[in-house]
Amino acid sequence: MLTTRRNWFQSLAGGISAAALLSHLEADADQPARQPLTTHPPAAKSMIHLFMNGGPSQMDLFDPKPELTRRHGQEHFEAIAGEVEFPDAAGALMRSPFQFAQHGESGMWVSELLPHFARHVDDVTMIRSLYTTNLTHEPALYKFHSGSEFTGRPSIGSWVTYGLGSENHNLPGYVVLDDPLGLPVNGVDNWQAGYLPASCQGTRFRATGAPLLNVSPDFEEPTTITRSERDLIGRLDRLHQQRFPGNDVLQARIQSYELAARMQLTATDALDLNQETAATLKMYGIGSEPTDSYGRRCLIARRLIERGVRFVQLFINSQIWDNHSDIGNALRSACDRTDQPSAALLTDLKQRGLLDDTLVVWGGEMGRLPISQMTSDRDPAKSGRDHNKNAMVAWMAGGGVRQGCLYGATDELGFAAVEDRVSIPDFHATLLHLLGIDHEQLYVERAGLREKLTGVGEARIISEILR
Amino acid sequence: MTAKLVPRRIFTTKSPTLKPLVNLLRLLCLTTAAMAAAADDGRYFQQEIGPLFQRHCMECHDRETHEGGLNLQDQITRGGDSGPVIVPGHADQSLLFELVSHAEMPPPESGQLDAAEIEKLQTWISAGAALPNGQTFPSVTADRIQALLLLRCAVCHGATRQEGGLDLRTTESILRGGKSGPAAVPGNPDESLLLQKIASGEMAPARRLVEVSIKPITDAETALLTDWIAAGMPAPVADRSRENSDSEYTATEQSFWAFQTPQQAPPPSVNTTARVQTPIDKFVLQRLEQVGLSLAEPAPPDVLVRRLYIDLTGLPPTWDQLQDVLQDPADDRISKLIDRLLESPHYGVRWGRYWLDAAGYADSEGAQNEDRVRPRMWRYRDYVIRSFNSDKPYDRFLQEQLAGDELAPWQDGVEIDAATADNLVATGFLRLTPDRTFANITAFVPDRLEVIADEMQVLGSAVMGLTVGCARCHNHKFDPISQADYYKLSAIFKDAFDEHDWLKSQGERTLAVVSTAERKQWEQQKQTLESRLAELQAQQQQADEETRKSLQQQIDAAKGAIPPEPQIRALWSRGRPSPTWVLLRGNYLTPGKRVQPDVPTIFAERYPLPQIAPPWQGAESTGRRLAFARWLTSDQHPLTARVMVNRIWMHHFGRGLVDTPANFGVTGSPPSHPLLLDWLAVEFVRSGWSIKSLHRLILNSAVWQQSSAVSQQSQELDPAGLLLSRAPLRRLDAESLRDSLLFVSGALSEQMYGPADPLDVRADGLVTVRATGDQWRRSIFAMMRRTQIPSLLETFDYPQMGPNCLQRSESTVAPQALQLLNGGEVHRLSARLAAVVLQDCQQSMPLTDDADLRKQRIIAVCRRCLSRQPGKQELHLFLQGLQELANQWRQTGETAERAEQLAFANLCHAILNSASFVMVE
Repeated sequence: MLTTRRNWFQSLAGGISAAALLSHLEADADQPARQPLTTHPPAAKSMIHLFMNGGPSQMDLFDPKPELTRRHGQEHFEAIAGEVEFPDAAGALMRSPFQFAQHGESGMWVSELLPHFARHVDDVTMIRSLYTTNLTHEPALYKFHSGSEFTGRPSIGSWVTYGLGSENHNLPGYVVLDDPLGLPVNGVDNWQAGYLPASCQGTRFRATGAPLLNVSPDFEEPTTITRSERDLIGRLDRLHQQRFPGNDVLQARIQSYELAARMQLTATDALDLNQETAATLKMYGIGSEPTDSYGRRCLIARRLIERGVRFVQLFINSQIWDNHSDIGNALRSACDRTDQPSAALLTDLKQRGLLDDTLVVWGGEMGRLPISQMTSDRDPAKSGRDHNKNAMVAWMAGGGVRQGCLYGATDELGFAAVEDRVSIPDFHATLLHLLGIDHEQLYVERAGLREKLTGVGEARIISEILR
Repeated sequence: MTAKLVPRRIFTTKSPTLKPLVNLLRLLCLTTAAMAAAADDGRYFQQEIGPLFQRHCMECHDRETHEGGLNLQDQITRGGDSGPVIVPGHADQSLLFELVSHAEMPPPESGQLDAAEIEKLQTWISAGAALPNGQTFPSVTADRIQALLLLRCAVCHGATRQEGGLDLRTTESILRGGKSGPAAVPGNPDESLLLQKIASGEMAPARRLVEVSIKPITDAETALLTDWIAAGMPAPVADRSRENSDSEYTATEQSFWAFQTPQQAPPPSVNTTARVQTPIDKFVLQRLEQVGLSLAEPAPPDVLVRRLYIDLTGLPPTWDQLQDVLQDPADDRISKLIDRLLESPHYGVRWGRYWLDAAGYADSEGAQNEDRVRPRMWRYRDYVIRSFNSDKPYDRFLQEQLAGDELAPWQDGVEIDAATADNLVATGFLRLTPDRTFANITAFVPDRLEVIADEMQVLGSAVMGLTVGCARCHNHKFDPISQADYYKLSAIFKDAFDEHDWLKSQGERTLAVVSTAERKQWEQQKQTLESRLAELQAQQQQADEETRKSLQQQIDAAKGAIPPEPQIRALWSRGRPSPTWVLLRGNYLTPGKRVQPDVPTIFAERYPLPQIAPPWQGAESTGRRLAFARWLTSDQHPLTARVMVNRIWMHHFGRGLVDTPANFGVTGSPPSHPLLLDWLAVEFVRSGWSIKSLHRLILNSAVWQQSSAVSQQSQELDPAGLLLSRAPLRRLDAESLRDSLLFVSGALSEQMYGPADPLDVRADGLVTVRATGDQWRRSIFAMMRRTQIPSLLETFDYPQMGPNCLQRSESTVAPQALQLLNGGEVHRLSARLAAVVLQDCQQSMPLTDDADLRKQRIIAVCRRCLSRQPGKQELHLFLQGLQELANQWRQTGETAERAEQLAFANLCHAILNSASFVMVE
């Protein structure tokens, strides 16, 4: 009989609020970690999610379509009218402006825009048949992150943290590395904990300055003073505690203050890139443009994973992949910012032997249409592609995932996934499976419903891509 | 027998989605022989389908069992509770096929159909579902087509607009047609303009679909429409008996405790009579005595006064307020304090907030990146605070929120008094959930249905204590709530929330209706400012270049000063509801049977819905919601009073008598003290639904007034405090913590109501509330956007409203410690606290290290923050700490006076961080 989190708390806590107990245990670094909620031996211990906000164009990056080239310029809008966000701007079928070539032993096709990634095709599983349910960014983002198109549900990182906790009790289990240039669409909602305990929410780490909110004093004060004041609080609280023997919340409070102190050191250390060699920094593109910023986040992701953080999520400001116009230049620039750093992350994890139990996932919230989207002057040179919910691409590498594997296919124009279709719940179920969690068993009871990441519908683990 | 008329277009692959394509492929895969066999006079059914039903379905769906109202033995044509299960010629529209092919039926444990069997079923349905013995399924009727045309066409050819003079909502109006003549010719699809326009692609105009948030009609739907016209446009078969009828419920289901009107049992007799202050105590003592426990000692008076202040107002008492009570020799000093605090305006701030959680209050729409602000939502917040402060009877409170627009006339330019204006503001209750339908691209029918579903969830969880949302896609798995019940309930809201006749969440669904007095005031103000503006403009015309420039500045300022028209965010009846269908599997593309507005069947017989009627002569409303609100607030209602009583109890004790406040159903927690719950519920109704009376009852009890000290016996026999052998030790919730921090440091503004206080968001994500002058208002008045929650509140479990929150978590995590220790807000407040404490104890700068003076300062800060004197050991710790801190500051080079001052600020900061401040006994 599987012990669910809820039962586990009930059996153990006898009525103490689950959240309080959770924090109690998390606060206690000297004790062994609480039992993770794994249902089978995990293939990966942790996950790095390289989230590509905006909807990277599948037929310009990973899914070449000769038929699209052949039918370039033909009208196609009427056939897909219900699937277009900007009907007024819809143009004809548009071939990819980029060249594709086959790479590696697997012979996977990759566009010229991703030369660094192309060297890693034999490390990854490429899913070409992913699809989502809404063609607008916000709902599609919610769907991708939380399984539901609506706000208020826990994100996948929160679920994973809820199920597995953190391996390092001096760091949060779920760290978000957002772009100093700005938040992604939906902002902080992307890493919300919804109805899970607040401790499962993604914690934002900054690449510069104090690594996380309030980790060090927001005011000037000698450290000896800070320490003395902390000691005074500790003495006062232990005196207070004597009057309520056996009260777990008070104990948890005291420990949370001790943890707070340790967190400052651990977090600062994790973000100190001076500890890395020049070669490593160079490999990630740190110190040169346009890769510096994303390179830093990729490298920090590796350092966090090394320290036992369970789930690291990388965001980029705004929507660099949302190429409604000028796809020829805009997509190139998005690739230039991210290709080298993400490839370096794979190389680095691999050479350190970390890739075996780390799952790396790359992808956005939707794909793009095979027809062009015209600017108001209808200049074809400036055209881009509109949103598409029927086909999108994601790749995965590392713990438990097959190498050099191509999965699923779209139709001849790349409009919709037709072969081995993968829904977002299927995708989520597979990720949880790789982390050792049965998606059906990871739930909380809420208003009479077992709330799960994968929702109430069907979700299939894509066993074909598992090693 | 229905002929299968395949429209020409189905053989082109124009399908916008893949589903029709897949279906087409399936059709083509059927061999001609199988099609021929299936299309016969019922032999295929006899040979293949009947035996298949026999093998797999009859255990639950024969004449005797007919679960879900479905009898496959001899009434297959009638369908089940949700509607027809077979649509001849359309396997994809047939619920039975849908469930079987998705392996949802038969239930997994009873052996499912294999692929060959599923294919046979599909063959049979696709070829027309012929039955033996002259039985036939009703062909596609106007009922199904009405749902279809509402979904695809009615936005331009319906209630609001009739483009080309055409209204496609009824068979009559279709036949009447528009400027180009009748839209359809019965029996003749080829001659029917409607089908011609669809076939040619002229309708719906593809480039304009997004403008009206409509998806194009699918090929399968066109086929249905063609079938219907070919069959002569038949009307639905009248089977009113099926409408709203449901499965019968078992005696066990009917006799479930939460579905019975609460009855008041006499309070039991107990041994410890000396402790009995109210009947509540007897109910609790009886349970305690059964296990050999009693209540804990009464809490010390100072502890009790602090607890009361925080419980009722969310703020600690001042030292003077505390002394007033302690020095009052009267026996009823606590009762008097309870009365006083219930009259404090801060009471509504504290208890209104709980209701805002249950209702899912937010100042923004959510669900779109911009998280658009709802600039008028605060009126509802103010309405809630005022309602609590005036002890508005709960039945009236609910009626206003559910049907305020149907309580008194407000349209057609009638005089609007404050109460009528409030009625409309109250309906904001139904406008709180995330609503992304303000933009075309996120205002499609499924987006609208989500708004309705969220409102249903709020209603179910906050008011009814029922998980009605579970029945959106299927009959409730545990409670006697059918899927039809869900849609009957949603039909009650249809004339306000109609997914086929929608108003966008901002702009369109806003009323410029406020009290006549407020409107007049605005008009006057506007007039004054406008005439001033006109004056300036006139001056400007005659002025020289220099003066013109300076005048322009004044003109711009005057323009900006003209206040916007006062408007409210409300919900109101529009008097022309579309019909409501059960949506099979919750899918808007597959309407099942039509239902009428009603309450769930389990209640309908014993607690019928009052007659639905327009609320006054000439009213535009149908009166559906008013009837429902009256039903919900009937004295006999089994749930309404219980749910509210439980909520009030939960906020007083940290745990409800029913520990699942949103779920009083079979899977909810049974009440820990069922007789007490019912006793309170009856008292509540008897008091005229007075929430303040309920507070008095509870707060005057010995149970509430006991100490939270844990005796060994109580720890052993009642480890979690479920039996109430002691009062709980609780952490201040987010708002009480922030408000108390502001209050003790003299930074809390007394100003209430009005537009929400704006926020500041720092680059690292810190969200703070902007001050008014050098003070802050109570947290309830801060802007509560979904994506920007003030950090201090969020860290201490201010909930994400998804769509509402019935029970906040009470977490204890390191980020809270970080926030209080390292956050700039708390640090600045502690410096302010230090300054006001010095005033309190009449000490002035420069401070000295005189031990007595230090002691005085420490006593003053404890009185102010903790509502008590420091204990002996505590005082020792404080003195020691102060000494150490002062020494250290001096070592950093500070003067003795300055060091003393800084050390004292540290001590204040430590107190604000201490368990004694943050926890409430």
